[in-house]
Amino acid sequence: MAAPLELSCWGGGWGLPSVHSESLVVMAYAKFSGAPLKVNVIDKTWRGSRGDVPILTTEDNIVSQPAKILNFLRKQKYNADCELSAKQGADTLAYIALLEEKLLPAVLHTFWVENDNYFTVTKPWFASRIPFPLSLILPGRMSRGALNRILLTRGEPPLYHVNEVEAKIYRDAKECLNLLSNRLGTSQFFFGDTPSTLDAYVFGFLAPLYKVHFPKVHLQEHLKQLSNLCRLCDDILNSYFRHGPVASRPGGLPVPSAAVFLFTRRKHHLTPIILWTS
Amino acid sequence: MSLVAEAFVSQIAATEPWPENATLYQQLRGEQILLSDNAASLAVQAFLQMCNLPIRVECRANAEYMSPSGKVPFIHVGNQVVSELGPIVQFVKAKGHSLSDGLDEVQKAEMKAYMELVNNMLLTAELYLQWCDEATVGEITHARYGSPYPWPLNHILAYQKQWEVKRKMKAIGWGNKTLDQVLEDVDQCCQALSQRLGTQHYFFNKQPTELDALVFGHLYTILTTQLTSDELSEKVKNYSNLLAFCRRIEQCYFEDQCKGRLS
Repeated sequence: MAAPLELSCWGGGWGLPSVHSESLVVMAYAKFSGAPLKVNVIDKTWRGSRGDVPILTTEDNIVSQPAKILNFLRKQKYNADCELSAKQGADTLAYIALLEEKLLPAVLHTFWVENDNYFTVTKPWFASRIPFPLSLILPGRMSRGALNRILLTRGEPPLYHVNEVEAKIYRDAKECLNLLSNRLGTSQFFFGDTPSTLDAYVFGFLAPLYKVHFPKVHLQEHLKQLSNLCRLCDDILNSYFRHGPVASRPGGLPVPSAAVFLFTRRKHHLTPIILWTS
Repeated sequence: MSLVAEAFVSQIAATEPWPENATLYQQLRGEQILLSDNAASLAVQAFLQMCNLPIRVECRANAEYMSPSGKVPFIHVGNQVVSELGPIVQFVKAKGHSLSDGLDEVQKAEMKAYMELVNNMLLTAELYLQWCDEATVGEITHARYGSPYPWPLNHILAYQKQWEVKRKMKAIGWGNKTLDQVLEDVDQCCQALSQRLGTQHYFFNKQPTELDALVFGHLYTILTTQLTSDELSEKVKNYSNLLAFCRRIEQCYFEDQCKGRLS
Protein backbone atom coordinates (compact mmCIF):
# COMPACT_ATOMS: atom_id res chain seq x y z
CA MET A 1 0.00 0.00 0.00
CA ALA A 2 1.46 3.35 -1.00
CA ALA A 3 2.29 5.96 1.59
CA PRO A 4 -0.74 8.05 2.55
CA LEU A 5 -1.24 11.02 0.26
CA GLU A 6 -2.69 14.14 1.81
CA LEU A 7 -4.00 17.05 -0.17
CA SER A 8 -4.44 20.47 1.34
CA CYS A 9 -6.87 22.59 -0.57
CA TRP A 10 -9.71 25.07 -0.44
CA GLY A 11 -13.12 23.68 0.41
CA GLY A 12 -16.29 23.46 -1.61
CA GLY A 13 -19.64 25.08 -2.02
CA TRP A 14 -22.49 25.38 -4.49
CA GLY A 15 -22.35 21.63 -5.07
CA LEU A 16 -18.64 21.49 -5.82
CA PRO A 17 -15.97 19.71 -3.77
CA SER A 18 -13.82 22.81 -4.11
CA VAL A 19 -14.35 26.28 -5.55
CA HIS A 20 -10.67 26.75 -6.29
CA SER A 21 -9.82 25.74 -9.88
CA GLU A 22 -6.40 24.26 -9.21
CA SER A 23 -7.57 22.25 -6.21
CA LEU A 24 -10.46 20.93 -8.28
CA VAL A 25 -8.11 19.82 -11.08
CA VAL A 26 -6.06 17.77 -8.63
CA MET A 27 -9.11 16.27 -6.93
CA ALA A 28 -10.66 15.29 -10.25
CA TYR A 29 -7.43 13.72 -11.50
CA ALA A 30 -7.08 11.75 -8.28
CA LYS A 31 -10.59 10.40 -8.75
CA PHE A 32 -9.98 9.45 -12.37
CA SER A 33 -6.72 7.68 -11.66
CA GLY A 34 -7.82 6.00 -8.44
CA ALA A 35 -5.25 7.67 -6.22
CA PRO A 36 -6.27 7.39 -2.55
CA LEU A 37 -6.18 11.00 -1.47
CA LYS A 38 -6.96 12.30 1.96
CA VAL A 39 -8.38 15.77 1.50
CA ASN A 40 -7.63 18.34 4.17
CA VAL A 41 -9.86 21.33 3.67
CA ILE A 42 -8.43 24.64 4.78
CA ASP A 43 -10.45 26.03 7.64
CA LYS A 44 -10.37 28.71 10.28
CA THR A 45 -7.75 27.02 12.40
CA TRP A 46 -4.08 27.79 11.99
CA ARG A 47 -3.33 24.25 10.92
CA GLY A 48 -1.77 23.81 7.52
CA SER A 49 -0.52 26.41 5.11
CA ARG A 50 -2.50 28.63 2.85
CA GLY A 51 0.28 29.54 0.57
CA ASP A 52 0.65 27.57 -2.61
CA VAL A 53 -2.54 25.63 -2.30
CA PRO A 54 -3.16 22.90 -3.49
CA ILE A 55 -0.32 21.08 -1.76
CA LEU A 56 0.24 17.34 -1.74
CA THR A 57 2.05 15.91 1.27
CA THR A 58 3.45 12.42 1.52
CA GLU A 59 5.85 10.93 4.03
CA ASP A 60 8.93 12.49 2.50
CA ASN A 61 7.71 14.91 -0.14
CA ILE A 62 5.85 18.14 -0.41
CA VAL A 63 4.61 18.97 -3.91
CA SER A 64 2.81 22.12 -4.94
CA GLN A 65 1.23 23.33 -8.21
CA PRO A 66 -1.21 21.14 -10.13
CA ALA A 67 1.18 20.20 -12.96
CA LYS A 68 3.83 18.96 -10.53
CA ILE A 69 1.27 17.14 -8.38
CA LEU A 70 -0.12 15.35 -11.42
CA ASN A 71 3.39 14.37 -12.51
CA PHE A 72 4.07 13.04 -9.03
CA LEU A 73 0.88 10.97 -9.04
CA ARG A 74 1.79 9.58 -12.44
CA LYS A 75 5.20 8.51 -11.13
CA GLN A 76 3.40 6.71 -8.29
CA LYS A 77 1.58 4.72 -10.99
CA TYR A 78 -1.71 6.60 -10.68
CA ASN A 79 -2.10 7.36 -14.34
CA ALA A 80 -5.38 8.46 -15.90
CA ASP A 81 -3.86 8.68 -19.36
CA CYS A 82 -2.77 5.08 -19.90
CA GLU A 83 -5.28 4.56 -22.68
CA LEU A 84 -4.29 7.60 -24.66
CA SER A 85 -2.19 7.48 -27.81
CA ALA A 86 0.93 9.62 -28.18
CA LYS A 87 -0.91 12.14 -30.32
CA GLN A 88 -3.72 12.42 -27.77
CA GLY A 89 -1.14 13.04 -25.08
CA ALA A 90 0.31 15.84 -27.21
CA ASP A 91 -3.19 17.26 -27.77
CA THR A 92 -3.72 17.26 -23.99
CA LEU A 93 -0.68 19.48 -23.48
CA ALA A 94 -1.81 21.83 -26.23
CA TYR A 95 -5.37 22.19 -24.90
CA ILE A 96 -4.10 22.78 -21.37
CA ALA A 97 -1.92 25.60 -22.75
CA LEU A 98 -5.01 26.99 -24.50
CA LEU A 99 -6.98 26.92 -21.23
CA GLU A 100 -4.23 28.68 -19.33
CA GLU A 101 -3.67 31.38 -21.93
CA LYS A 102 -7.21 32.15 -23.03
CA LEU A 103 -9.60 31.06 -20.31
CA LEU A 104 -7.70 31.53 -17.08
CA PRO A 105 -7.44 35.37 -17.30
CA ALA A 106 -11.21 35.66 -17.67
CA VAL A 107 -11.87 33.19 -14.82
CA LEU A 108 -9.47 35.13 -12.59
CA HIS A 109 -11.19 38.35 -13.59
CA THR A 110 -14.67 36.98 -12.84
CA PHE A 111 -13.64 35.74 -9.41
CA TRP A 112 -11.11 38.26 -8.20
CA VAL A 113 -11.16 41.48 -10.15
CA GLU A 114 -14.78 42.21 -11.08
CA ASN A 115 -15.82 44.36 -8.13
CA ASP A 116 -19.40 43.12 -7.71
CA ASN A 117 -18.33 39.49 -7.78
CA TYR A 118 -15.29 39.94 -5.59
CA PHE A 119 -16.92 41.91 -2.79
CA THR A 120 -20.20 40.00 -2.61
CA VAL A 121 -19.08 36.43 -3.24
CA THR A 122 -15.36 35.68 -3.41
CA LYS A 123 -14.00 37.77 -0.57
CA PRO A 124 -16.60 36.75 2.06
CA TRP A 125 -16.24 33.10 1.09
CA PHE A 126 -12.46 33.02 1.41
CA ALA A 127 -12.39 35.30 4.44
CA SER A 128 -14.73 32.95 6.28
CA ARG A 129 -12.21 30.16 5.83
CA ILE A 130 -9.12 32.04 6.99
CA PRO A 131 -8.42 32.83 10.63
CA PHE A 132 -8.42 36.42 11.78
CA PRO A 133 -6.32 38.57 11.24
CA LEU A 134 -5.07 36.82 8.11
CA SER A 135 -8.59 37.04 6.71
CA LEU A 136 -8.14 40.77 6.35
CA ILE A 137 -4.95 40.44 4.34
CA LEU A 138 -4.97 37.27 2.30
CA PRO A 139 -8.04 37.77 0.07
CA GLY A 140 -6.75 41.22 -0.89
CA ARG A 141 -3.39 39.76 -1.73
CA MET A 142 -4.93 37.03 -3.86
CA SER A 143 -6.98 39.64 -5.68
CA ARG A 144 -3.95 41.79 -6.40
CA GLY A 145 -2.04 38.73 -7.57
CA ALA A 146 -4.82 37.91 -10.02
CA LEU A 147 -4.97 41.46 -11.35
CA ASN A 148 -1.21 41.50 -11.72
CA ARG A 149 -1.23 38.30 -13.68
CA ILE A 150 -3.91 39.55 -16.04
CA LEU A 151 -2.18 42.85 -16.70
CA LEU A 152 1.30 41.43 -17.11
CA THR A 153 0.26 38.76 -19.55
CA ARG A 154 -2.44 40.58 -21.51
CA GLY A 155 -2.02 44.26 -20.88
CA GLU A 156 -0.25 46.45 -23.38
CA PRO A 157 2.21 49.14 -22.42
CA PRO A 158 2.08 52.01 -21.75
CA LEU A 159 -1.57 51.79 -20.70
CA TYR A 160 -1.55 48.95 -18.17
CA HIS A 161 -5.16 49.36 -17.18
CA VAL A 162 -7.64 46.62 -16.59
CA ASN A 163 -10.45 48.26 -18.59
CA GLU A 164 -8.38 48.07 -21.74
CA VAL A 165 -8.00 44.35 -21.46
CA GLU A 166 -11.40 43.36 -20.07
CA ALA A 167 -13.13 43.21 -23.43
CA LYS A 168 -10.21 41.34 -24.97
CA ILE A 169 -9.95 38.68 -22.29
CA TYR A 170 -13.69 37.96 -22.26
CA ARG A 171 -13.72 37.69 -26.02
CA ASP A 172 -10.77 35.27 -25.91
CA ALA A 173 -12.46 33.26 -23.15
CA LYS A 174 -15.67 32.91 -25.14
CA GLU A 175 -13.69 31.81 -28.17
CA CYS A 176 -11.84 29.27 -26.03
CA LEU A 177 -15.13 27.89 -24.68
CA ASN A 178 -16.47 27.58 -28.22
CA LEU A 179 -13.31 25.75 -29.31
CA LEU A 180 -13.58 23.34 -26.38
CA SER A 181 -17.21 22.71 -27.16
CA ASN A 182 -16.37 21.98 -30.80
CA ARG A 183 -13.63 19.60 -29.76
CA LEU A 184 -15.83 17.75 -27.26
CA GLY A 185 -18.70 17.36 -29.71
CA THR A 186 -21.06 14.63 -28.60
CA SER A 187 -18.61 12.26 -26.93
CA GLN A 188 -18.78 11.65 -23.21
CA PHE A 189 -15.23 12.75 -22.40
CA PHE A 190 -12.58 14.40 -24.52
CA PHE A 191 -10.85 11.16 -25.47
CA GLY A 192 -13.48 8.47 -25.61
CA ASP A 193 -15.36 6.95 -22.71
CA THR A 194 -12.88 7.31 -19.89
CA PRO A 195 -11.85 10.63 -18.38
CA SER A 196 -8.24 11.76 -18.60
CA THR A 197 -6.00 14.66 -17.58
CA LEU A 198 -7.62 17.04 -20.04
CA ASP A 199 -11.07 16.32 -18.60
CA ALA A 200 -9.67 17.06 -15.14
CA TYR A 201 -8.30 20.42 -16.27
CA VAL A 202 -11.44 21.43 -18.17
CA PHE A 203 -13.59 20.39 -15.20
CA GLY A 204 -11.35 22.30 -12.80
CA PHE A 205 -11.57 25.53 -14.79
CA LEU A 206 -15.20 25.34 -15.86
CA ALA A 207 -17.02 23.91 -12.86
CA PRO A 208 -16.55 26.93 -10.57
CA LEU A 209 -17.57 29.23 -13.41
CA TYR A 210 -20.63 27.07 -14.04
CA LYS A 211 -21.84 26.56 -10.49
CA VAL A 212 -20.91 29.53 -8.35
CA HIS A 213 -23.67 32.15 -8.12
CA PHE A 214 -22.29 35.50 -9.18
CA PRO A 215 -24.05 38.85 -9.55
CA LYS A 216 -22.22 39.55 -12.83
CA VAL A 217 -22.78 36.46 -14.94
CA HIS A 218 -21.40 37.50 -18.31
CA LEU A 219 -19.19 34.50 -19.02
CA GLN A 220 -21.38 32.11 -17.09
CA GLU A 221 -24.29 32.79 -19.44
CA HIS A 222 -22.10 31.97 -22.42
CA LEU A 223 -20.94 28.76 -20.78
CA LYS A 224 -24.49 27.69 -20.00
CA GLN A 225 -25.34 27.89 -23.69
CA LEU A 226 -22.67 25.29 -24.47
CA SER A 227 -24.67 22.32 -23.26
CA ASN A 228 -22.05 19.65 -23.92
CA LEU A 229 -19.53 21.35 -21.61
CA CYS A 230 -22.18 21.72 -18.88
CA ARG A 231 -23.09 18.08 -19.36
CA LEU A 232 -19.42 17.09 -18.93
CA CYS A 233 -19.19 18.98 -15.61
CA ASP A 234 -22.44 17.49 -14.34
CA ASP A 235 -21.42 13.97 -15.38
CA ILE A 236 -18.11 14.22 -13.54
CA LEU A 237 -19.78 15.68 -10.46
CA ASN A 238 -22.43 12.97 -10.36
CA SER A 239 -20.17 10.04 -11.09
CA TYR A 240 -17.09 10.92 -9.08
CA PHE A 241 -18.17 13.39 -6.45
CA ARG A 242 -21.43 12.00 -5.21
CA HIS A 243 -22.27 13.88 -2.03
CA GLY A 244 -24.85 13.76 0.72
CA PRO A 245 -27.79 16.12 1.42
CA VAL A 246 -27.71 19.73 0.31
CA ALA A 247 -24.37 21.47 -0.23
CA SER A 248 -23.85 24.28 2.24
CA ARG A 249 -23.52 27.85 1.07
CA PRO A 250 -22.48 30.72 3.33
CA GLY A 251 -25.18 33.32 3.96
CA GLY A 252 -28.51 33.64 2.17
CA LEU A 253 -30.33 30.45 1.33
CA PRO A 254 -31.91 28.37 4.12
CA VAL A 255 -29.75 25.24 4.26
CA PRO A 256 -29.12 22.64 6.95
CA SER A 257 -26.20 23.55 9.17
CA ALA A 258 -24.03 20.54 8.32
CA ALA A 259 -23.46 18.51 5.19
CA VAL A 260 -21.54 15.27 4.91
CA PHE A 261 -19.38 14.83 1.84
CA LEU A 262 -18.77 11.24 1.03
CA PHE A 263 -15.94 10.67 -1.38
CA THR A 264 -16.12 7.26 -2.91
CA ARG A 265 -14.75 5.63 -5.99
CA ARG A 266 -17.18 3.67 -8.10
CA LYS A 267 -17.51 0.06 -6.95
CA HIS A 268 -14.39 0.30 -4.79
CA HIS A 269 -13.52 0.88 -1.18
CA LEU A 270 -14.37 3.98 0.79
CA THR A 271 -11.94 6.84 1.15
CA PRO A 272 -12.09 9.03 4.25
CA ILE A 273 -15.28 10.90 5.04
CA ILE A 274 -14.99 14.67 5.30
CA LEU A 275 -17.25 16.36 7.81
CA TRP A 276 -18.15 19.83 6.70
CA THR A 277 -19.93 22.41 8.80
CA SER A 278 -21.04 25.76 7.50
CA MET B 1 -6.07 47.69 -29.86
CA SER B 2 -9.60 47.96 -28.54
CA LEU B 3 -12.32 45.88 -30.15
CA VAL B 4 -13.82 48.85 -32.00
CA ALA B 5 -10.47 49.87 -33.43
CA GLU B 6 -9.78 46.31 -34.55
CA ALA B 7 -13.11 46.05 -36.35
CA PHE B 8 -12.46 49.38 -38.02
CA VAL B 9 -9.00 48.34 -39.20
CA SER B 10 -10.41 45.09 -40.60
CA GLN B 11 -12.96 47.02 -42.58
CA ILE B 12 -10.36 49.27 -44.10
CA ALA B 13 -7.97 46.40 -44.68
CA ALA B 14 -10.54 44.51 -46.67
CA THR B 15 -10.87 47.20 -49.26
CA GLU B 16 -7.23 47.51 -50.33
CA PRO B 17 -5.07 44.89 -52.02
CA TRP B 18 -1.65 43.96 -50.67
CA PRO B 19 0.80 46.66 -51.77
CA GLU B 20 4.25 46.05 -53.19
CA ASN B 21 6.05 48.09 -50.57
CA ALA B 22 4.83 46.26 -47.46
CA THR B 23 7.57 46.35 -44.85
CA LEU B 24 8.39 44.31 -41.78
CA TYR B 25 10.34 46.02 -39.00
CA GLN B 26 12.57 44.23 -36.53
CA GLN B 27 15.67 45.06 -34.54
CA LEU B 28 19.18 45.05 -35.98
CA ARG B 29 19.94 41.56 -37.08
CA GLY B 30 23.62 41.34 -36.39
CA GLU B 31 24.11 43.13 -33.11
CA GLN B 32 20.83 43.74 -31.35
CA ILE B 33 18.06 41.24 -31.94
CA LEU B 34 17.49 38.60 -29.29
CA LEU B 35 16.42 34.97 -29.57
CA SER B 36 12.72 35.43 -28.82
CA ASP B 37 12.29 38.46 -31.08
CA ASN B 38 14.15 36.75 -33.90
CA ALA B 39 11.86 33.74 -33.58
CA ALA B 40 8.76 35.92 -33.73
CA SER B 41 10.05 37.83 -36.72
CA LEU B 42 10.99 34.67 -38.60
CA ALA B 43 7.54 33.21 -37.90
CA VAL B 44 5.85 36.24 -39.48
CA GLN B 45 8.18 36.17 -42.46
CA ALA B 46 7.51 32.46 -42.98
CA PHE B 47 3.75 33.05 -42.74
CA LEU B 48 3.82 35.81 -45.34
CA GLN B 49 5.98 33.69 -47.64
CA MET B 50 3.50 30.85 -47.31
CA CYS B 51 0.71 33.23 -48.33
CA ASN B 52 2.82 34.40 -51.27
CA LEU B 53 2.74 38.01 -50.11
CA PRO B 54 5.87 40.06 -50.78
CA ILE B 55 7.47 41.69 -47.77
CA ARG B 56 10.62 43.71 -47.28
CA VAL B 57 12.53 43.40 -44.01
CA GLU B 58 13.85 46.62 -42.44
CA CYS B 59 16.12 46.58 -39.42
CA ARG B 60 15.78 49.48 -37.02
CA ALA B 61 17.30 49.91 -33.58
CA ASN B 62 14.09 51.36 -32.12
CA ALA B 63 11.71 48.84 -33.68
CA GLU B 64 10.36 47.87 -30.27
CA TYR B 65 9.32 51.44 -29.56
CA MET B 66 7.82 52.00 -32.98
CA SER B 67 5.54 49.01 -32.59
CA PRO B 68 1.96 49.79 -31.52
CA SER B 69 1.95 47.05 -28.90
CA GLY B 70 5.59 47.23 -27.86
CA LYS B 71 6.41 43.88 -29.42
CA VAL B 72 8.29 43.05 -32.56
CA PRO B 73 7.88 42.33 -35.37
CA PHE B 74 5.34 44.66 -36.87
CA ILE B 75 4.36 45.23 -40.47
CA HIS B 76 3.61 48.46 -42.22
CA VAL B 77 1.10 47.87 -44.98
CA GLY B 78 -0.50 50.77 -46.83
CA ASN B 79 -1.25 53.10 -43.95
CA GLN B 80 -1.79 50.48 -41.28
CA VAL B 81 0.62 49.13 -38.73
CA VAL B 82 -0.03 45.71 -37.22
CA SER B 83 2.19 43.88 -34.76
CA GLU B 84 2.52 40.27 -33.57
CA LEU B 85 1.62 37.11 -35.43
CA GLY B 86 -1.97 36.76 -34.17
CA PRO B 87 -3.21 40.18 -35.32
CA ILE B 88 -1.15 39.92 -38.54
CA VAL B 89 -2.86 36.63 -39.42
CA GLN B 90 -6.25 38.26 -38.89
CA PHE B 91 -5.24 41.32 -40.89
CA VAL B 92 -4.08 39.17 -43.79
CA LYS B 93 -7.31 37.20 -43.57
CA ALA B 94 -9.31 40.42 -43.85
CA LYS B 95 -7.46 41.06 -47.10
CA GLY B 96 -8.61 37.71 -48.40
CA HIS B 97 -5.57 35.49 -47.87
CA SER B 98 -5.81 32.64 -45.42
CA LEU B 99 -3.95 29.40 -44.87
CA SER B 100 -6.42 27.79 -42.50
CA ASP B 101 -9.67 28.06 -44.46
CA GLY B 102 -9.55 24.42 -45.46
CA LEU B 103 -9.58 23.22 -41.86
CA ASP B 104 -12.75 22.04 -40.14
CA GLU B 105 -13.81 23.32 -36.70
CA VAL B 106 -12.04 20.62 -34.70
CA GLN B 107 -8.82 21.14 -36.63
CA LYS B 108 -9.00 24.90 -36.14
CA ALA B 109 -9.40 24.33 -32.40
CA GLU B 110 -6.35 22.04 -32.45
CA MET B 111 -4.33 24.56 -34.42
CA LYS B 112 -5.12 27.36 -31.97
CA ALA B 113 -4.33 25.06 -29.05
CA TYR B 114 -0.93 24.10 -30.46
CA MET B 115 -0.10 27.74 -31.20
CA GLU B 116 -0.84 28.53 -27.56
CA LEU B 117 1.36 25.62 -26.52
CA VAL B 118 4.27 27.07 -28.48
CA ASN B 119 3.67 30.53 -27.00
CA ASN B 120 3.17 29.18 -23.52
CA MET B 121 6.17 26.89 -23.37
CA LEU B 122 8.70 27.68 -26.09
CA LEU B 123 8.44 31.44 -26.07
CA THR B 124 8.38 31.65 -22.27
CA ALA B 125 11.38 29.32 -22.07
CA GLU B 126 13.25 31.52 -24.54
CA LEU B 127 12.44 34.61 -22.50
CA TYR B 128 13.50 32.82 -19.32
CA LEU B 129 16.79 31.76 -20.83
CA GLN B 130 17.50 35.22 -22.16
CA TRP B 131 16.58 37.28 -19.16
CA CYS B 132 16.57 35.10 -16.04
CA ASP B 133 19.59 32.88 -16.57
CA GLU B 134 22.52 34.84 -15.16
CA ALA B 135 25.15 33.39 -17.47
CA THR B 136 23.25 34.23 -20.65
CA VAL B 137 22.20 37.62 -19.36
CA GLY B 138 25.71 38.66 -18.51
CA GLU B 139 27.41 37.33 -21.61
CA ILE B 140 24.89 37.91 -24.34
CA THR B 141 21.64 39.64 -23.55
CA HIS B 142 22.74 42.82 -21.80
CA ALA B 143 25.39 43.53 -24.37
CA ARG B 144 23.11 42.91 -27.33
CA TYR B 145 20.00 44.64 -26.05
CA GLY B 146 21.71 47.93 -25.27
CA SER B 147 24.21 47.90 -28.14
CA PRO B 148 22.74 50.75 -30.26
CA TYR B 149 22.63 53.14 -27.32
CA PRO B 150 25.38 55.13 -25.59
CA TRP B 151 26.39 54.64 -22.00
CA PRO B 152 24.57 54.80 -19.55
CA LEU B 153 21.38 54.32 -21.52
CA ASN B 154 22.37 50.86 -22.66
CA HIS B 155 22.63 49.58 -19.09
CA ILE B 156 19.45 51.32 -17.91
CA LEU B 157 17.31 49.96 -20.75
CA ALA B 158 18.68 46.46 -20.34
CA TYR B 159 18.02 46.40 -16.60
CA GLN B 160 14.55 47.84 -17.08
CA LYS B 161 13.65 45.17 -19.60
CA GLN B 162 15.07 42.46 -17.39
CA TRP B 163 13.00 43.67 -14.45
CA GLU B 164 9.85 43.66 -16.60
CA VAL B 165 10.45 40.13 -17.84
CA LYS B 166 11.25 38.85 -14.34
CA ARG B 167 8.01 40.37 -13.06
CA LYS B 168 6.07 38.58 -15.75
CA MET B 169 7.81 35.27 -15.04
CA LYS B 170 6.94 35.59 -11.37
CA ALA B 171 3.29 36.35 -12.15
CA ILE B 172 2.86 33.23 -14.26
CA GLY B 173 4.67 30.97 -11.80
CA TRP B 174 7.97 30.56 -13.64
CA GLY B 175 9.87 32.71 -11.16
CA ASN B 176 11.03 29.77 -9.06
CA LYS B 177 11.88 27.42 -11.87
CA THR B 178 15.42 26.27 -12.36
CA LEU B 179 17.09 26.10 -15.75
CA ASP B 180 16.79 22.31 -15.75
CA GLN B 181 13.07 22.46 -15.20
CA VAL B 182 12.71 24.97 -18.02
CA LEU B 183 14.71 22.74 -20.36
CA GLU B 184 12.50 19.81 -19.36
CA ASP B 185 9.44 21.87 -20.31
CA VAL B 186 11.03 22.63 -23.68
CA ASP B 187 11.63 18.93 -24.16
CA GLN B 188 8.01 18.14 -23.32
CA CYS B 189 6.81 20.76 -25.78
CA CYS B 190 9.07 19.46 -28.55
CA GLN B 191 7.91 15.93 -27.84
CA ALA B 192 4.28 17.00 -28.16
CA LEU B 193 5.00 18.82 -31.44
CA SER B 194 6.96 15.85 -32.75
CA GLN B 195 4.15 13.45 -31.88
CA ARG B 196 1.58 15.69 -33.50
CA LEU B 197 3.67 16.10 -36.66
CA GLY B 198 4.41 12.39 -36.95
CA THR B 199 5.52 11.57 -40.48
CA GLN B 200 3.47 14.27 -42.19
CA HIS B 201 5.06 17.11 -44.08
CA TYR B 202 3.07 19.80 -42.32
CA PHE B 203 0.90 19.79 -39.21
CA PHE B 204 -2.39 19.76 -41.11
CA ASN B 205 -2.94 17.90 -44.37
CA LYS B 206 -0.46 18.71 -47.09
CA GLN B 207 -0.66 22.48 -46.73
CA PRO B 208 1.18 24.70 -44.30
CA THR B 209 -0.77 26.85 -41.86
CA GLU B 210 0.15 29.60 -39.41
CA LEU B 211 1.03 26.90 -36.89
CA ASP B 212 3.76 25.63 -39.22
CA ALA B 213 5.09 29.19 -39.59
CA LEU B 214 5.16 29.70 -35.83
CA VAL B 215 6.82 26.37 -35.06
CA PHE B 216 9.37 26.92 -37.82
CA GLY B 217 10.20 30.41 -36.54
CA HIS B 218 10.92 29.20 -33.04
CA LEU B 219 12.67 25.93 -33.81
CA TYR B 220 14.87 27.33 -36.57
CA THR B 221 15.97 30.21 -34.37
CA ILE B 222 16.74 27.88 -31.46
CA LEU B 223 18.76 25.62 -33.74
CA THR B 224 20.77 28.38 -35.35
CA THR B 225 21.41 30.80 -32.49
CA GLN B 226 24.68 30.62 -30.65
CA LEU B 227 24.11 30.73 -26.87
CA THR B 228 26.38 30.13 -23.91
CA SER B 229 25.58 26.44 -24.02
CA ASP B 230 24.00 24.09 -26.52
CA GLU B 231 21.47 22.59 -24.16
CA LEU B 232 18.44 24.26 -25.73
CA SER B 233 19.26 23.27 -29.29
CA GLU B 234 20.17 19.76 -28.16
CA LYS B 235 16.64 19.35 -26.86
CA VAL B 236 15.24 20.14 -30.29
CA LYS B 237 17.82 18.01 -32.12
CA ASN B 238 16.53 14.93 -30.34
CA TYR B 239 13.51 14.93 -32.63
CA SER B 240 14.48 14.12 -36.19
CA ASN B 241 11.09 14.85 -37.73
CA LEU B 242 11.20 18.39 -36.36
CA LEU B 243 14.65 18.88 -37.90
CA ALA B 244 13.39 17.59 -41.25
CA PHE B 245 10.36 19.89 -40.94
CA CYS B 246 12.56 22.97 -40.43
CA ARG B 247 14.81 22.00 -43.31
CA ARG B 248 11.83 21.47 -45.60
CA ILE B 249 10.27 24.86 -44.84
CA GLU B 250 13.61 26.59 -45.17
CA GLN B 251 14.14 25.02 -48.60
CA CYS B 252 10.62 25.66 -49.83
CA TYR B 253 10.05 29.18 -48.67
CA PHE B 254 13.39 30.77 -48.07
CA GLU B 255 15.61 29.26 -50.72
CA ASP B 256 12.97 29.23 -53.46
CA GLN B 257 13.69 25.64 -54.34
CA CYS B 258 10.12 24.57 -54.65
CA LYS B 259 8.31 27.82 -55.29
CA GLY B 260 4.84 27.18 -56.66
CA ARG B 261 4.93 23.51 -55.76
CA LEU B 262 3.12 22.35 -52.64
CA SER B 263 4.37 19.08 -51.19
